[in-house]
Amino acid sequence: MKPALNIKSVNKKFDGTVALDDFSLEIPQNSITGIIGPNGAGKTTLFNVITGFLPLDSGKIIYNGKNLSRMPSYKIARAGIARTFQQLRLITRMTVLDNILLSFQNQAGEYLKNTFLFPGRVKKQERKNREKANELLAFMGIEEKAGDLVEDLSYGQQKMISLACCLASGADLLLLDEPVAGINPSMIEKILMVIKKLPEAGKTFVIIEHNIEAVMRVCDRVIFMDEGKKIAEGDPESVRHDPAVIEAYLE
Amino acid sequence: MEYLLHILILIGIYVILAVSLNLIVGYSGLLSIAHASFYGVGAYVAALLALKLHSPFLANIICAIILSGLLGAIVGIPSLRIRDDYFAIATFAFQVITFSVMNNWVSFTGGPMGLPGIPRPAIFGWKITTHYDFLIVILVLCIIILWISHKIVTSPFGRVLKAVREDEIFAQAMGKNVASYKVLIFVIGAGMASVAGVMYAYYISFIDPTSFTIMESILIISIVIIGGAGNIWGSVLGAAVLVILPEALRFLGMPSSIAANMRQIIYGALLVIFMLFRPQGFIGEYTFRK
Amino acid sequence: MLAQVLLNGLIAGSTYALIGISFGLIYMPTRFFHFAHGVVYAAGAYGTLAAISWLNLPLSIAVLVGVGTSTVIGLTIECTVYRALRRRSASSLVFLLTSLGLYIVLQNSISLFFGDYIQSIRIGAVEEGIDILGARITPAQILIVSMSLALTVAVTILLKRTKMGRAIRAVANDAELADISGINRDKVFFRTFAIGSALAGVAGILVAFDSDFCPTMGINALMMGVVAVIIGGVGSIHGIALGALLIGMAQQFGVWKIGSQWQNAIAFVILLIFLLFRPQGFLGKKVKKVTV
Ligand SMILES: Nc1ncnc2c1ncn2[C@@H]1O[C@H](COP(=O)(O)OP(=O)(O)O)[C@@H](O)[C@H]1O
Ligand SMILES: [Mg+2]
Repeated sequence: MKPALNIKSVNKKFDGTVALDDFSLEIPQNSITGIIGPNGAGKTTLFNVITGFLPLDSGKIIYNGKNLSRMPSYKIARAGIARTFQQLRLITRMTVLDNILLSFQNQAGEYLKNTFLFPGRVKKQERKNREKANELLAFMGIEEKAGDLVEDLSYGQQKMISLACCLASGADLLLLDEPVAGINPSMIEKILMVIKKLPEAGKTFVIIEHNIEAVMRVCDRVIFMDEGKKIAEGDPESVRHDPAVIEAYLE
Repeated sequence: MEYLLHILILIGIYVILAVSLNLIVGYSGLLSIAHASFYGVGAYVAALLALKLHSPFLANIICAIILSGLLGAIVGIPSLRIRDDYFAIATFAFQVITFSVMNNWVSFTGGPMGLPGIPRPAIFGWKITTHYDFLIVILVLCIIILWISHKIVTSPFGRVLKAVREDEIFAQAMGKNVASYKVLIFVIGAGMASVAGVMYAYYISFIDPTSFTIMESILIISIVIIGGAGNIWGSVLGAAVLVILPEALRFLGMPSSIAANMRQIIYGALLVIFMLFRPQGFIGEYTFRK
Repeated sequence: MLAQVLLNGLIAGSTYALIGISFGLIYMPTRFFHFAHGVVYAAGAYGTLAAISWLNLPLSIAVLVGVGTSTVIGLTIECTVYRALRRRSASSLVFLLTSLGLYIVLQNSISLFFGDYIQSIRIGAVEEGIDILGARITPAQILIVSMSLALTVAVTILLKRTKMGRAIRAVANDAELADISGINRDKVFFRTFAIGSALAGVAGILVAFDSDFCPTMGINALMMGVVAVIIGGVGSIHGIALGALLIGMAQQFGVWKIGSQWQNAIAFVILLIFLLFRPQGFLGKKVKKVTV
């Protein structure tokens, strides 16, 4: 099967530190790939270069046949890659519903021309999106929060909403940066349930996570990263017992 | 009675200025200290066209909007590279430069002497001469601009603007072309502000650069903040309060020699007090915190 | 002619350096645009004027009164308004707006007290000037140039060699880290405002020795200072002096070639060019950017 995302010898340096060191990776369609590794391994940086928030020093990133390097972030998002941020990002002073509505793509009403010349079309689409948003929130089991301001929600709920936004964007590839870190077990359960259901619906996931337990449960494949390099790759059990991984974690 | 109408006309002009600036500052989070320059561009374009080409009122308004909108794009573009207070300083620079042009390009703008004798306008044969006529025109323009602004901020476009204001990284991650929103809202805000300038020029029938200074820009910002950034009705309220308040001083018997200074002191003090104790203004939602 | 242009550029640059350094010193740890500094600068000249014409004090004492006025105003602003804003962890935009408000209030207060008209505390008549290579410079201008040189050196030493300077730089580099390492931020700000405001007072007085002034003298001077700080690079005193010299020279060449009325426009066009293409200035470190 053709990989959804193909990362070819990517390099990224900050001043002195090498964050990504000739890093290559293929992400198969409809899979859930876990990325683990110590702090500062370059995991977040990998997401940042894939999504265009940081420029590459060298290398190539191909998504569905398109070369992403040098594409602005918003175009990469439109090409079908959504992400969450380790330092959670949402519009905290807007309601949950508005955050979801914001995340839909191809909205006629985002062009003023349509707002003024075709108000009917804009209204109709907005109504449809509202329905879709409510369905999505129901699917995730947080429909009762729709009207709340995001800043009033718990951290776990906010993480849930940022996943919901990625789904609303219609992206096929979702990059989740520590989706269950720092939240309570019942919330972790909820989020993992949602993630697990989605590859059937055609979604592909890459998940950075320190919670090994969670990674073991949802991922088909695990990558272990350290100092910007891929140290081990394989199914969850084998990576867990890989001597290099054990050694790195014992250090 | 004339006096009352005059106050209402002034409020109308400041409503247009404040609402248009609110789109930029309050909804998009781009602090611009250059709004008086768009106001001035509108006034000078209308005055020059009316004086030199004798072109009709409506044509002049359209020319002013287009030219001011173009300048708006020029001021907005730096916001893609520099942000927050550095961007505010860049708009300050732009304000100083436009003032400098109005004041020093004497052969074209009349320099400090200004442009006197701007003729009374007419719309399809209706001559606008009395205070009443002006008030009606300004009222209509205010309503149109408020309606457009309301449409903008309640549309999905407006939702993206707020997202850009709160967290542009997130907006980008959700596929929004942040750059185009920033520039476009500047074009719109600048275009609207020029309408206030056009009306001012026709109404007073004389303009000079002193009406379009950095202090005027700061006054418009004060109106937006005191009324409430991120709420167009706040700007209506703010314009009314800040136009009426200094007038009230006159009735309290303040000598006119110090009235001008007192007026400014009131604006400045209100700005400080609101920033300290109520940064969201009377009814706003944005408080300039990230 | 060229000699006179260069000399005028040096003089103008020196006046900008004076205000620029005082502003830049405060900007370093506080990181917001303290517009009210323009009034602090004007207060130096007006304080001196009041001491001379109302209290009949000798010039040397009057100068001290002027510097004292500036310092007191600067410190009052810091201790009341800015400190309160810091408690609310206000953004730099809130500081900027508040500071604009303060500027307006204080500048108009000066107008109320002293009137809007032009005042003078010039020293020495213009004819007393001396010739250097066919260019003319007055004693007041010599004072301005030498003081700006002296202050560039003095403030550099203050920042590099003294304990207080190190504290200022620590807060400038990383305010949180400075907090953790036990530096009292309020105390650092207090001292920075004291020195910065006193220097602004000195700058205002020196400029008033050379030319007439009015209540709005501060905003223009301050903006030239801001331009010098941005194009020189925040945190570098040499950079500020260099930036000031650059705009002084550019303006004087402008005066020579296209007329004196375009001085402001020239300075701000230079500022825009720097903001767009080199926002960290020529000697500064990178400025903040949105990062993920
Ligand atoms: N924007 C940045 N500027 C400078 N250095 C950075 C930046 N982002 C990450 N780094 C550095 O790159 C390395 C990798 O960081 P990161 O990708 O965040 O690691 P991880 O997510 O695996 O913990 C770290 O040493 C970090 O300090
Ligand atoms: Mg990380």
